[in-house]
Amino acid sequence: MNGSTKPGYYGHPMIKPPEWTDLIPVYFWAGGMSGASATMALMQRLRGNEPLATTYVYAAAVGTALSGFCLIADLKRPDRFMNMLRVFKPTSPMSMGVYIFSVFGGATMTAALCSLFGVAKPLGRIAEVVAGFVGPLMSVYTAVLISDTVVPAWYGARLAMPALFAATSASTAGGVGLLFGPADANSSARRLALMGGAAVPVTLQNVHRAVGPFQDRAYKDGQAGPLAHAARAMNIAGTVCALFAGRAPVLGRVAGALLLAGGLAERFAVLRAGCNSASDPAYTIHAQRSGVSSADGS
Amino acid sequence: MMDETAERMGFFTDTTLCIGCKACEVACKEWNELPSDGYEFTGMSYDNTKELSGTTWRHVAFVEQDQRWLMESDVCKHCTHAGCLDVCPTGALMRTEFGTVVLQEDICNGCGYCVVACPFGVVAQRQDTKTMGKCTLCYDRLKVGEEPACAKACPTESIQFGVVTELRARAAERVEKVLEQPRYEGARLYLEDPGDGIGGGGSMFLLLDAPEKYGLPPAPVVATRELPAMWTAAFVAAGVLFGGIVLAMVGRK
Repeated sequence: MNGSTKPGYYGHPMIKPPEWTDLIPVYFWAGGMSGASATMALMQRLRGNEPLATTYVYAAAVGTALSGFCLIADLKRPDRFMNMLRVFKPTSPMSMGVYIFSVFGGATMTAALCSLFGVAKPLGRIAEVVAGFVGPLMSVYTAVLISDTVVPAWYGARLAMPALFAATSASTAGGVGLLFGPADANSSARRLALMGGAAVPVTLQNVHRAVGPFQDRAYKDGQAGPLAHAARAMNIAGTVCALFAGRAPVLGRVAGALLLAGGLAERFAVLRAGCNSASDPAYTIHAQRSGVSSADGS
Repeated sequence: MMDETAERMGFFTDTTLCIGCKACEVACKEWNELPSDGYEFTGMSYDNTKELSGTTWRHVAFVEQDQRWLMESDVCKHCTHAGCLDVCPTGALMRTEFGTVVLQEDICNGCGYCVVACPFGVVAQRQDTKTMGKCTLCYDRLKVGEEPACAKACPTESIQFGVVTELRARAAERVEKVLEQPRYEGARLYLEDPGDGIGGGGSMFLLLDAPEKYGLPPAPVVATRELPAMWTAAFVAAGVLFGGIVLAMVGRK
């Protein structure tokens, strides 16, 4: 009827695809790893595992720095980053995120600097406690950030996405401990890696189920599919290696690298899925028409 | 100057009157000093504009059908519950005294969150300023009591500017009248209902076919409506993550 068999208006996107660059999935990945690492650092400190605590204090700080760099560098006007601090808006997950990030980033940086220069130990400990408690929120708030959009692949999975981000944060933080931590004192990192590695496929399945079979094509088409496959393969391989890391330390290092890479690929897969579902109007039409009986046959 | 208690202003775009002349597109570009988007042949009927963008704030859609030709001048909907405004982390997007949604380009840092929060694909990045851009409903003209450039330029009064409550009444009257004619059997109002997923638009439309035929979402919803549930899910996930890390402490170092 339209002079075109394509859905909607000549198949033209009905909503705008994200303008975000590839720095955004890196920001999600680094922030997620960093958040869980800060909590790990606090726990290691509390149980007296000083070497692993130190590893995690630095991991959290490096993750924060990387994620902060990506967040600001992705702005089209990075010179105006500070404008985000002129308002406090509970309706904006990005506004809330900036404050979570500011508190968390300040704490992890303080903790790392105190540790590095061996100064102001009490201040460093306080910073570690703050970072340790804010950390999990840092890990999952980005799930709310992408879900609070009109992108069907994300909005449709809005209640399932935080669990996936938490699982990936756990697997990557476990991976950091295995990769950089002392081989003779990183059993808790290994256990976290195993928990996260096992939780990733389960929580990912919940995301697929939440969006339903039609919308789920967005997670399989284009680059999203191969990225998801790569993520799954690395996650499985990393988890299996972590399982046997107790016998050969080198397996722990391999497991850590695989889990970190798998987590990064997973974030990219989720971002690409969102781009897919925003670029094809069929997704928006289906999301809004399903359940509505329409005489328009749309 | 109008005062703080100005009435909510908006558009009623009656597509039965649109002749596809694109005077609105031109007037908008002229008044708002928006740069050209280049010359590209799309093959989408007479529509080489394609879509609303950071530098195109009116867009005329052309839909060629078997016995008729649909034309519709699209614009920012100035939603009652505006997703772009909700998520903007800098306060660059604001609600004016006219109930319209305006993006202050001197504040915007180009984070791009509004782009994915708009149910209509209205907000987009400007290539010239690097900030986001969208229709201001001619905020500067409204300030001095003038009507928006597009409505002023429209030769058939397809674009009608006025007080939103009055426009709603006029739209309801008009669709009733249009439906009396058999050739307009698919006529319907779009975004006139304050009970819809965006709380109704400041811009409303009389369409002659399903919204999606014009590239408009059939049942738009502002995502922020579900935000409390999302944060609840996030806090649960964060709690489980914290618990998982505590659990990982059980066993040897």
